[in-house]
Amino acid sequence: MNTSSTEDRGKRYLNPYFGGFLLGLVLLATMFVTGRGLGASGAVKSTVVQAVNTISPAHVEKSKYYSQFISDDIHPMSNWLVFEILGVLAGAFVSGALAGRLKFKVEHSPKITSRTRLIMASLGGLMFGIGSQFGRGCTSGAALSGMASMATSGFIAMMAIFGSAYMFAYLFRKFWI
Amino acid sequence: MKEELFVSGRMNPNIDPYLNIWHWQIPVYLFLGGLAAGILFFAALYTILGKEKEMPTTVKWATFLVPFILILGLLALFIDLKHKLYFWRLYTVIRLESPMGWGAWVLMIITPISMVWVASYLKELIPSWDWKFEFLNKFERWVITNRWYIAWVMIFYSVILGIYTGILLSAFNARPLWNTSLLGPLFLVSGLSTATAVIMWMTKNPAERKLMSRIDLLLIGIELFLIVHLFMGFLASSAVQINAAQLFLGGQFTVSFWVFVIILGLLFPAGLEVLEMRGVHIPIVIPVVLILFGGLMFRFIMVEAGQITRYLY
Repeated sequence: MNTSSTEDRGKRYLNPYFGGFLLGLVLLATMFVTGRGLGASGAVKSTVVQAVNTISPAHVEKSKYYSQFISDDIHPMSNWLVFEILGVLAGAFVSGALAGRLKFKVEHSPKITSRTRLIMASLGGLMFGIGSQFGRGCTSGAALSGMASMATSGFIAMMAIFGSAYMFAYLFRKFWI
Repeated sequence: MKEELFVSGRMNPNIDPYLNIWHWQIPVYLFLGGLAAGILFFAALYTILGKEKEMPTTVKWATFLVPFILILGLLALFIDLKHKLYFWRLYTVIRLESPMGWGAWVLMIITPISMVWVASYLKELIPSWDWKFEFLNKFERWVITNRWYIAWVMIFYSVILGIYTGILLSAFNARPLWNTSLLGPLFLVSGLSTATAVIMWMTKNPAERKLMSRIDLLLIGIELFLIVHLFMGFLASSAVQINAAQLFLGGQFTVSFWVFVIILGLLFPAGLEVLEMRGVHIPIVIPVVLILFGGLMFRFIMVEAGQITRYLY
């Protein structure tokens, strides 16, 4: 995207503040329809649990963490977050198509290579995944949905996630800008 | 052969209370059979209409897949057979009341026709191709001059093959979910839809793709209509049919059916096709893969769920 002008960018992307407002409406609609909030890391967790359970059921049985998600009655993938994420993928695809942004590319600053960007983004994602399990939820499940229901933990999670991001961004800035 | 003696119809392993005899082979075959029938149907249709030049992928190139699709499907059926070496006995009789007899004979007719059809276009695909024997060259010339007549035979048998993939289930009177005459047309339409998807994927001609996309939208509409009426019929019927429908309306197949077949397999690709028609650039592979996936999923769910439904309680 580094070659495109600001004006072009404006046409291809939604205003971030308006996007946030829409996300809030989605959250409200989710609470209204399903009676619970949104989530994202839960779907990844279910997929990981299911993958590990397929490859090595014995390991899942022994592990304290994995075994809590496995029962005879409920399949780990039978979780509404998994279907929510399918919807997110489908919706993102349509949004990309409507904005004319459907092509394979790695978005990164001109100062770093695609390789650096991919490796660092994967590492960051991995660490966020682990962190979300320690914190019992990610930005969507713990912070966003938590704050929407006025839970103290939600506000703490939001402050912790964004506070630590501001603190550490300076140290890692060379990896992305 | 080991003999088995049945004293009662109840509590038979793999038969009662639940049928547990058809596994992945059957839905895979039903999917491949429907797909092959669909591709041959459109090839024959546009040959009869005299549009070989406008629709080259539909009439020629997509049909090259058919013999392989049919062979894979038949292989799946063969793997499913308990007594594999006796399959040829199906061909010693013609029994109009036997669904398997119908299938065996239709496949016996349409598989060689599809091979001959493909062979007659082989020289257009590989110009240096040589049949080596004069009688083969002569036969090829005969096929090329009589293609229009062969197309009529092919269209007839492709429709029978497409319907038959549903009849194999609906002729099974002991399972309420299958015992509805809507399954024949429903599987035919679904097979035609998967065929349009494959043609859209293969063609490089924008006009051909656009036409196939329109036909597919129409077929998806018909399929949804038939599915709604399938459930309407079940719910207006007796308790066993209502129970069968409940598997999809709150029961164990609800999520897989509505999410994977209806939303991701029909509505979402239809939406993408509409967007593409309105000029939005969509990589064609996405709707195509979703349609094929939805078709396969539909057959897996119907075979799986049908075996659970029953008359006796």
